[in-house]
Amino acid sequence: MQMLKQTDRHLFLSLTRKMLNHLCWSGIAEAERLYQSFDIEQQSEKEELTDEWNVPNQRRSLVFSADFSNTVFAIAIKHLSDEEILRLIQKWFQEEKLSFLDQVINRNLSLAVVGDVIRRYHHLTLDEPGTPSPSKVGVQVSLIRRFLSDQLPYINVAKDYIEVSDFYHLLQNIIYSAESHGKLGGKSAGLYLAAQILKKKGRKSEILGHVKVPKTWHITSDVLLVFTHYNDFSEVVEQKYKEINQVRLEYPHIVQTFKSALFPADIIKGLSVALDDFGEHPLIVRSSSLLEDRIGAAFSGKYKSLFLANQGSKQKRLDALKDAIAEVYASVFGPDPIEYRRERGLLDFSEEMGIMIQEVVGNRIGKYFLPSYAGVAFSSNEFRWSPRIRREDGLIRLVPGLGTRAVDRLSDDYPVLVAPGQPGLRVNVSPDETVRYSPKKTDVLNLESNSFETIEFADLLKEAGYEFPGIKEVVSIYKDNHIQRPIGMNIDFDNENLVATFEGLISRTPFIKQMHMILKTLEETLGEPVDIEFASDGRDFYLLQCRPQSHSDRSAPAPIPKDLPDAQVIFSANRYISNGHVPEITHIVYVDPLKYNELTDRRSLEEVGQVIGKLNKMLPKRRFILMGPGRWGSRGDIKLGVNVTYSDINNTAVLIEIARKKGNYVPDLSFGTHFFQDLVETQIRYLPLYPDDEGIVFNEEFLTHSPNLLPEMLPDYAYLTEVIKLIDVPKVTNGHILQILMNADLDKAVGLLRQPSLVTERIRSEQRYKTYEGVTENHWRWRQQMAEFIAAQLDGKRFGVEGFYLFGSTKNGSAGPYSDIDILIHFRGTPEKLTSLKHWLEGWSLSLDELNYFRTGFRRRGILDVHIVTDEDIKNKTEYASKIGAITDPAMALPLMNKE
Amino acid sequence: MTGHSFNPFEMAQAQFDKVADLLELDNSTRELLRNPLREYQFLIPVRMDDGQVKVFRGFRVQHNDSRGPSKGGIRFHPHETIDTVRALAMWMTWKCAVVDIPLGGGKGGVICDPHSLSDREQEQICRGWVRQLARNVGPINDVPAPDVMTNAQHMLWMLDEYEHIHGGKYPGFITGKPVGMGGSLGRTEATGYGVIYTLREALKIMGLDPKKTTCAVQGFGNVAQYAIQLYKQLGGTVVCVSSWDQQDQTSYTFKKTSGIDLDELRKITDRFGGIDKGKARGLGYEVLPGEAWIEQEVDILIPAALENQVTGESVKKINKNVKIVAEGANGPTTIEADRVLEERKIYVIPDFLANAGGVTCSYFEQVQSNMNYFWDKDDVLQRLDFKMTSAYKAVHEMHVKRNIYMRDAAYAIAIDRVARACRDRGWV
Repeated sequence: MQMLKQTDRHLFLSLTRKMLNHLCWSGIAEAERLYQSFDIEQQSEKEELTDEWNVPNQRRSLVFSADFSNTVFAIAIKHLSDEEILRLIQKWFQEEKLSFLDQVINRNLSLAVVGDVIRRYHHLTLDEPGTPSPSKVGVQVSLIRRFLSDQLPYINVAKDYIEVSDFYHLLQNIIYSAESHGKLGGKSAGLYLAAQILKKKGRKSEILGHVKVPKTWHITSDVLLVFTHYNDFSEVVEQKYKEINQVRLEYPHIVQTFKSALFPADIIKGLSVALDDFGEHPLIVRSSSLLEDRIGAAFSGKYKSLFLANQGSKQKRLDALKDAIAEVYASVFGPDPIEYRRERGLLDFSEEMGIMIQEVVGNRIGKYFLPSYAGVAFSSNEFRWSPRIRREDGLIRLVPGLGTRAVDRLSDDYPVLVAPGQPGLRVNVSPDETVRYSPKKTDVLNLESNSFETIEFADLLKEAGYEFPGIKEVVSIYKDNHIQRPIGMNIDFDNENLVATFEGLISRTPFIKQMHMILKTLEETLGEPVDIEFASDGRDFYLLQCRPQSHSDRSAPAPIPKDLPDAQVIFSANRYISNGHVPEITHIVYVDPLKYNELTDRRSLEEVGQVIGKLNKMLPKRRFILMGPGRWGSRGDIKLGVNVTYSDINNTAVLIEIARKKGNYVPDLSFGTHFFQDLVETQIRYLPLYPDDEGIVFNEEFLTHSPNLLPEMLPDYAYLTEVIKLIDVPKVTNGHILQILMNADLDKAVGLLRQPSLVTERIRSEQRYKTYEGVTENHWRWRQQMAEFIAAQLDGKRFGVEGFYLFGSTKNGSAGPYSDIDILIHFRGTPEKLTSLKHWLEGWSLSLDELNYFRTGFRRRGILDVHIVTDEDIKNKTEYASKIGAITDPAMALPLMNKE
Repeated sequence: MTGHSFNPFEMAQAQFDKVADLLELDNSTRELLRNPLREYQFLIPVRMDDGQVKVFRGFRVQHNDSRGPSKGGIRFHPHETIDTVRALAMWMTWKCAVVDIPLGGGKGGVICDPHSLSDREQEQICRGWVRQLARNVGPINDVPAPDVMTNAQHMLWMLDEYEHIHGGKYPGFITGKPVGMGGSLGRTEATGYGVIYTLREALKIMGLDPKKTTCAVQGFGNVAQYAIQLYKQLGGTVVCVSSWDQQDQTSYTFKKTSGIDLDELRKITDRFGGIDKGKARGLGYEVLPGEAWIEQEVDILIPAALENQVTGESVKKINKNVKIVAEGANGPTTIEADRVLEERKIYVIPDFLANAGGVTCSYFEQVQSNMNYFWDKDDVLQRLDFKMTSAYKAVHEMHVKRNIYMRDAAYAIAIDRVARACRDRGWV
């Protein structure tokens, strides 16, 4: 203490003050007396003491002499042991230093300075995890805010899991420029926190203790700005305020400019150190945008992630890495993210974006590099295939190889689905289904060609199955309609039929238990459902990403209005509801459960299925719903559900199964299991209805007694009018449409009649933004305008044209960015005229395609889908000709320049 | 008819009545054959994974065992009804009789939904089913097999439980086992080959040289592929096949007038018989709409995909050159189409007979299991050829002698054989 008194008087006095306080709180009378005497001394210098309520207490300046200090420490020696005093002094000593650290961090100095201070602090003192002191928490919060996130919910959780010393270690792997003030970005922050949570909780639970995170280097977010300034690209910042087609046009140029740009020397140095650390291990360069931090903006897949094989000489690998980073940077100025941000009102937010350089988890297998398995997992299950599965049972989408195929919905390939809370209940039951819905392809890195490839899983096994770590956990052997888990290592890769089922992984390893625990722990700690990405090299489990479970716009829980007038509600449901929102249904196909049950011959029952298949092709896609009894697509007993295959229902928006009470028993529904995975991948909604439950609305009157269009649409099947009802909703309800709102949180769903305009407005306000790929006004409006324009330019006499009609998605206002324009031309001329008409239209088609490309980025080699019909076609009402003057969804006639 | 609704058992009875009239069966025989001899209905309590006990309802119907032990599948279905099981058991009696194998007809099931059951729970249901019936089923009484939503795994659980109860090894108790665990070789080829064995005999009778015939096949699954293989070995030319395209959710016909090359197509086909249309075009195949297979100018049509493919509509498109329709699929022809085929004198080898290779091979599995000696594949296929050929001949003979449609002839033969067995035993 003597030394301190002479060298650091400020610190010495501060320690005196703390010791006095400590002694007083410990109830030592001597100390209290000393404190009071000091008090009185101070007061006596004042004129009087006010006791008024509304006057602030006089501040007491605790400035005391060296003698006073000596007295305090003398009392301390008398009452406390030497060890106790030493401990206290050490503790206060550390607090002093922390407050210094806090000041530095909060003074908005550059990361270089902050980093230096943290390093010094780390070397000076061992940061014991022990009891948190307020000053320590203060420093932690400052560091979290500085490096990871300034979002309060994040900080609130993170401060309990991230220690000051963790930043010391994190700092070793951060690349930043001299003046950098940036952060790591949302993706990095999310992963880092999740990993810390699992690490801390893992100390008490073995199963969580085994979770690893791949080696990761970070580039701070503002390096992007440094990069653009360094290369004098400042004009790119204005990119986002340009017209979207301008953005699209200029984007390839930006990518090239960025790729040929130079990186500042300190960044290159950082990357070089990182590469030395990684060695020749394949890498992924991922964006970690600050926007990903914002609630409600899930930027999944909007910015680029690039895989690097990272093989060869250091210079070659460094060049490839720089190239990849430049390309990820360029993606900030790409049309998709800009459009996306514009729609969400995030355009004015800074474009800063962090970068994560991460080791790809996996092994070399043949000439490829890939994890044994990877996927995504959700703590809340929105796709239940059995009533026994609860939302909290979670969902895993699992694939062999890189997880990219589990993240995306592919529609022609399928991940294996497992609910970790109910791993025994599988979506697919028969060997045939299991094989059909197993992953067929796999994403890999080709180390020879340095490229990302999609290859057949079966080919990979034939080529290098013996090198595949943990293969027996991944595949099953399919033989004689029997699926078996391999035993031991004696798999014959050349001759056996192997299917990726993950049966071994699910039933013989702690994987499912571990996954369930991870999801539960993260959800509980973060206070909301999470989704994670993961991978395994066949030995260890790696966490790759963690973020709040996001909903695409159409699968968010729909708010359900209260006190709806009964007349407006067509049906309601309150069991096994998933989340979703189906805004604009124009047609209902209703198979009456009672009438269906009364059909006596098999042929009629089968024909109901055929009618559904035909209607599925005639009605506007995703604008109609199918409602019917029992189990759709049930094999075995046709009576139990309409006999359809997936291709008979693949255009519906919603599949609704109705369970009517029979006597005192309610039949089980299928939950769409016969085509469950097809429904999931194409996002067709499934809804079970129990009309006989208490408190349920089921407007049977509307469904059975509304005018039925079936006999007019399909006259051959008119005898099924009693069984199948086809309702054109706007036609029978004065222009209303049907809207289905589904909310899993409340376990409630309703089908409502609404005014179309009201609906669109509501969607906007409820969802804050419209869907990116769904119905947007622009896509059909300009298409229709162009069609009108073409018709007006068309010289009917010259080309032998009698009529020009518009139908399909453009006419119905449901066109998406990739839609074509369906045109029907009533032709009455010579073959020569037909040829020249076709040429004339082809020119238009290609021009419109180019126009559409600038708007949307979709190119399809011609956008006009022209169908020529003759007088005879119209007379016979052949497929397209029947659209002219059709009963429902007729083609719209557009005026021509003149007629034949 | 009792209710106003479709009842599969009543339908099966009506079909039987029609043939019984034709055969002029007496009333007591009709009474006996219209109904199952024996029915078991019982409960299977199962402790579920969450500790609760759930009670499942099980069935077994033995329709008729006058010709030998009952044979038939076990179905797991959430809406199983006794009437469905009865109808299917009766159907099995006729199916075994038409190929003249010494077995009767049975069917069973459990009301349950495997989509909502774990493997362990399903195993408990299988074992519970056997425990309830251990004394009423077995290699000499009643032989179960896989059916809707059951497979080889269920059969092995059941076999294990049965052997446990009876304290011995009885592989002949159940069929549908994997090869090496009491299963038979040749099962994969059996149905497709069976179709061609009957077709070959039909060509012989009609005096046609297989080498000079052409054929169009619907489907490219297991049955179709093996049928094509054997037909080509006989020297015939397959002009086209149709196959389902999973991605486009529709089917296409792949045509090559000089004849399709099976091996080359197999290389570009997925596990479910889906042919890659891009690659097929590259190999010189013409890609036509799915329905085009039926309108080809060929001698033979083999529908080997789904039911209800030859309909009142599509039958009109059949080319005038077509002489034979060999039904590889189950129920590919509707009643309306049947009438047209009969009028046009197109020779039909009915599904019931043409695709009986499967059930015959199951019988072989049981025979081999009972003697615990397993034949090689050629042995199995040779015996299959023999069985199918004689079955075909008997049906054709009936068709000629009584001048009845082939489908009716097949039924008549089957029912006649069962009726005789009942009479010989002195039951009626």
